[in-house]
Amino acid sequence: MSAFLQYVVNGLTSGAFIALVALGYTMIYGVIRLINFAHGDVLMVGSFIGYEVVVTLVAQHWPIALIVLLALLAGMAFTGGLGMLIERVAYQPLLNSSRLAILISALGVSLALEQGAQLIFGAGYSAYPNVLSSAGFTFAGARASYVQVGMIVLSLLLMLGLYLFVHKTMAGTAMRALAMDKDAATLMGINVPRTILLTFMLGSVLAGASGVMQGLYYTEINFFMGFLIGLRAFTAAVLGGIGNIPGAMVAGFLIGLIGSFSDGYISSEWSDAIIFAVLIAVLVFKPTGLFGERVAERV
Amino acid sequence: MKGVGSRAAATAIFAAVALTAAACSSSTSSGGGSSSSGGTILIGVPVPLSGEYASAGTDILHGAQLAAKNINASGGVDGKKIQIVSQDDACLASTGSQAAQKLISQGIAAAAGGYCSTAAFPELEAFHRAGIPYVMDASTNPELTEQGFNDAFRTIGRDDEQGPIAASFITSFLHATRVAVGNDNSTYAKGLANATVSALQKDGAQVVFNNALTPGQSDYTSFLTKIGQSKPQVFYYTGYYPEFGLLLKEAKQLGLTFTMMGGDANNDPTLIKTAGSAATGAMMTTAPLAQFLSSAKGYVSQYTAAYGTGPGPYSSYEYDAVGVVAQAIKNAHSTTPSAITAALRSISYSGITGDFHFDSVGDRAPANYIVITVKNGAFVPDKEYDNTTKQWVNVS
Repeated sequence: MSAFLQYVVNGLTSGAFIALVALGYTMIYGVIRLINFAHGDVLMVGSFIGYEVVVTLVAQHWPIALIVLLALLAGMAFTGGLGMLIERVAYQPLLNSSRLAILISALGVSLALEQGAQLIFGAGYSAYPNVLSSAGFTFAGARASYVQVGMIVLSLLLMLGLYLFVHKTMAGTAMRALAMDKDAATLMGINVPRTILLTFMLGSVLAGASGVMQGLYYTEINFFMGFLIGLRAFTAAVLGGIGNIPGAMVAGFLIGLIGSFSDGYISSEWSDAIIFAVLIAVLVFKPTGLFGERVAERV
Repeated sequence: MKGVGSRAAATAIFAAVALTAAACSSSTSSGGGSSSSGGTILIGVPVPLSGEYASAGTDILHGAQLAAKNINASGGVDGKKIQIVSQDDACLASTGSQAAQKLISQGIAAAAGGYCSTAAFPELEAFHRAGIPYVMDASTNPELTEQGFNDAFRTIGRDDEQGPIAASFITSFLHATRVAVGNDNSTYAKGLANATVSALQKDGAQVVFNNALTPGQSDYTSFLTKIGQSKPQVFYYTGYYPEFGLLLKEAKQLGLTFTMMGGDANNDPTLIKTAGSAATGAMMTTAPLAQFLSSAKGYVSQYTAAYGTGPGPYSSYEYDAVGVVAQAIKNAHSTTPSAITAALRSISYSGITGDFHFDSVGDRAPANYIVITVKNGAFVPDKEYDNTTKQWVNVS
């Protein structure tokens, strides 16, 4: 029983990181029907920006809480800008060409980011300084650290912020309108290019936050780290019904739990196989995803 | 560009040396290879001097040159001087084959060197066909000495010897009866895991967990929780340092208290940076680095004085490879390759990496692995196996 609860705790932690990334996939798909393969690599860039900030400020002996906050803000700001730049350079000119062209452009951006990071930050592993404590508490035989709880709460707050933005602001309403019907949205006077840009910025900011949070929590990062988490988050986005924001949040945690349970009850070497089997099963049997029926609510 | 230029210059010098040396050796070998006449003995060193592993290859070559220098300074071998001739094998099978052919045509008496097992296979093949003994210093693939060649030797342990040694430490020093073993599904790690598991079972320990993780994942907490469920006293991980660092960190976070041990791919500073304070007390089995050996202290300082850097992980094994060849020539009183081979087969040598002889297939015996422990953020040599008392003792 205690092991079961521990698997739940472990799964929710990795799920929190996945959910933040899955949101970006789903939002971007919602507005321009593009699976942004560069999304995982945006996360990786955010992680490295946070790394530079943490390493620099730890050397200056700044207070830990301030370092963490600044690293998060720097990572999010940089990836937000990067997301907009990518959209302007690689996607905007291709919005009216075939779907395949823009997909190939996304793959190209992904490779450019990975290879660029490899050149700048090196091919090896970098390790964030261990600034967060591993102290925690035991609950019914399962152990959780305070940092772990903090990470889950922080990701939930970010998701709540996104939800409120999308539903309570004019810009968010414009995003939802664009996701429902591009032509009608244009006719209603919505600035489509600006709304697309905003969507990319928001998605990338969340990926950047996830990247810095993972760096702080796991400490070990490298130029290739966006690949695996990107695939898992993409699976979560499909599982939640691609284009569906609450669906991606729930499915992100679900993928984390599936990974954790298969690590625990089946075998760690099978976890990715199981996660991608879930992806295939969803695509075959329920292409709209678990929560895909709420089409009207897309983004 | 400076590095490339100096490397090109070095290659040119080696080529010039090799040419003159080849001329010398052909004149002496016409004298029938008899002992105690003046002249030089050529020892061929194939190592990567270009490409990704150039720095490791250069370290090894430096080790060979220091060995030759020291042997010559103390009078050489039967009045002859040892001369090192090197060839770049670029860590590639194709280049390795050519490098060996070039060395053979220069008239070497024996070969001592190599770095990548990939290149060592064709080199060994070529040397074997020419009847020239090859003492390898760094290539650890078990297959190399298992091909039935009587002229293949090695001064370093092989991958499948580490398992039984790790098992011996776990059962006879840590007195563990319940052991978990993990790997990352790579050929090397799986091989080491299998060797360890069978040795553990032979030693009477119960292997309560034996499974692989997926490398590149950041979260191994559920993998570790599952290991914790099997209640081991020791967990031995045979994969590489990026995952082992995370395992150490996450095990501490989960409050798991079993002893964590790693194989010889974990001896990397990144591990300590990743795991932070959680790395303290983690142990690893590894071939001893020169700086961990009291018998190699003089070598380390001589090397550092001569080349301005540390001796790297393998150059001490190359130093002993050249040394053991020189000793074999002395014992045989001959520079004929077949006589050197025969002498190597029965040699008993006391080198800077320890005392050893070669077993029936040419592998170093006894294999030397030590256990190192992370203390105060650094790898510190801890325990070694004493072959005379059959016990694990502190590294002197």
